[in-house]
Amino acid sequence: MILWAIPAAPLAAAAIGLAVKNVVGAKVSTLLAALAAFALSLAAASDVTRHVGGVLLPGWIGVNALAAVMLVLQSFVGLTAAAYSWGYIPHIAAESPARQRQYFANLNLFQASLFVVPLLLQPVLTWVAIELTTVLSIFLVSFSNSREALEAAWKYAVITIMGATVAAFGIFLLLWGLTRSHVATQTWSALIRTAPHMPAGAVELAFVLILVGFGAKVGLVPMHTWLPDAHSQAPTPVCALLSGVEVSTVLYVILRLWPVFMAVRGFSPESWALVVGLVSVGTAAFLLLQVHDYKRLFAFSTVEHMGILLLCLGLGPLGALACVYQLMTHGLTKSLAFYGSGSVLVATGTRTIADVRGLLRSAPVAAAALLVGALAIAGAPPFAVFLSELTIFRAAAAAQDYVVLALLLVFLGIAFLGILRRTGGMLFGQPSHPPARLPRAMTATMAVGIIPVLVLGVYLPLPLYHLLGMAARSLR
Amino acid sequence: MAAVASLNTVVGTLFILMTFLLMVSRQIQSVLRAFVGQSLLLVLSTLLLALLHHSAQLAIVALITVAAKVIVIPGVLTRTLGQELRARREIESVVNVPVSLLLMLGATVLAFFLAAPLLGPHAAEAQVNLALGLAALLIGVYTLVIRREAVAQVLSLMAIDNGVFFAGVAITTSSAIVEAAAGLEGVMVVLVVAILTRTIAQNLGSTQVSSLQQLGEEVPR
Repeated sequence: MILWAIPAAPLAAAAIGLAVKNVVGAKVSTLLAALAAFALSLAAASDVTRHVGGVLLPGWIGVNALAAVMLVLQSFVGLTAAAYSWGYIPHIAAESPARQRQYFANLNLFQASLFVVPLLLQPVLTWVAIELTTVLSIFLVSFSNSREALEAAWKYAVITIMGATVAAFGIFLLLWGLTRSHVATQTWSALIRTAPHMPAGAVELAFVLILVGFGAKVGLVPMHTWLPDAHSQAPTPVCALLSGVEVSTVLYVILRLWPVFMAVRGFSPESWALVVGLVSVGTAAFLLLQVHDYKRLFAFSTVEHMGILLLCLGLGPLGALACVYQLMTHGLTKSLAFYGSGSVLVATGTRTIADVRGLLRSAPVAAAALLVGALAIAGAPPFAVFLSELTIFRAAAAAQDYVVLALLLVFLGIAFLGILRRTGGMLFGQPSHPPARLPRAMTATMAVGIIPVLVLGVYLPLPLYHLLGMAARSLR
Repeated sequence: MAAVASLNTVVGTLFILMTFLLMVSRQIQSVLRAFVGQSLLLVLSTLLLALLHHSAQLAIVALITVAAKVIVIPGVLTRTLGQELRARREIESVVNVPVSLLLMLGATVLAFFLAAPLLGPHAAEAQVNLALGLAALLIGVYTLVIRREAVAQVLSLMAIDNGVFFAGVAITTSSAIVEAAAGLEGVMVVLVVAILTRTIAQNLGSTQVSSLQQLGEEVPR
């Protein structure tokens, strides 16, 4: 079975990178492991759509369709992040090969911890894996050791670890429901089967604790305060992983538990999803307008998108499909947007929006990447997010939630204008910086990263449609 | 068996009192000592419940807790943050102690109100542990918010963890592998956060978290 090899690949790359004692070895092993993990994830996903495999060790390790979606997304962004790091990290840590090797080892460990989350069948173990993703990414966030990076890493650590601990209380309450029904296996499927017999009060309290706790790590308002800091101070490839994948990996746990909450009589998690989701989208849309740092701009857009994903859960069966679809397109697009902003950082050396002018002339590749990333994440056609957001609007109309639809359209419109106004100003006018060339690895990565964003903006390939459909059905 | 259950209630009371002490102590050394005390009481309650339910699994959980929370975590903190721990300065806090105590008392009452309807006709020992664990969680989160000192915040995080497990051992048990993974993970969290704290102390000259306010949406200087 291939499942165990997916996290094993980056683990091996971390070990090799530390053993060979040169930067090129670390880079090559990281890239090869990322390629291997991507191929294996595709194979695992194809197995899931054909209803073969899926479980490696019953009761412990296995994947369903939703987990397969996560694996594919994680491994694709992991691959582009590894390739982007090849050009980017030597640029920011040129003076110290040791620090570069340390970075690649840490990146691989973080990637492995991300892969472990969707592979586990027991909620408690998944919780441990979620904590590991935090623990293993703290030093990536603080990598530059600047005052700002340390502040970001500290907020990230304290708020998300606290959140995960709160969520653990909720998970224990759910397991209590199993114990009271004399069910010994503590897996996702056992929880879903037993949920209708659990005491409603315990499940409701568990829901609130899990929504608040993991919501803090997902970046839902009002627990989002750490997110723009951590997702803008980390080295760019790490930002892509954090924003594109890590937050959705935590949301995955909420999604996996969603049928449990839905099964409780007289309790409507859907209205919670709508309210908390809309508040996050709305707050992030307005905060976007006052940002002065272009990396923070995309970080706030992550808060917005996490709100959208949660909101989808309140929109019925089509909403579930829209949620999984948007989760995929957001991860692919957000990583691309961060690669674009990282290119601007390499070309100009500043994160401040107002200091950058005339990028189209001084660094055309970085400018194009920034423009495409901004348009794509704001939801303009012909990019992937446009189609997935269209599905959300259809879901809202189908569920006859016209107020939600109207508010969502307004907030998305504000965010669209906010993102484009901020980035637009950086592209035109008299160049503020001398012409700059980007490392070839970065340009190549962005060329690869744009492919799925464009393809999924035109149509949804049939196998992927099947996989997303299966994943959506697992949410109901 | 009734004696064991009432003994557990006494341990529970001491646990929440120790949590209060942990949260209002003004010296880092005494916060650390209170954390070790709180962990020991968690272990004691786990052992009593193991006795009550004749559960070998709970006994293993108690062993893991001793290893992780009483021995390794304080050891890791002392090794990585020796200087900061010995520093004889007061922990800055936004709210003063009497008000905090009052709020913590309120949180405890609230926790009992939240936990009581969940239990139904179930055993009394679960009631004490569930309510007090929830209370420790609420108090811990509150303290984390008002404290402005990195080492104290780390210990608050671990105290919240103790609260979660204080409730957890009374309502469910997982397999030994899962419990060991959770214990190991707690150690890793402390190790990494302690190293981050030391880096902050070295680079910025202090562990006062209140000085960490560079990031935001203000117009850059």
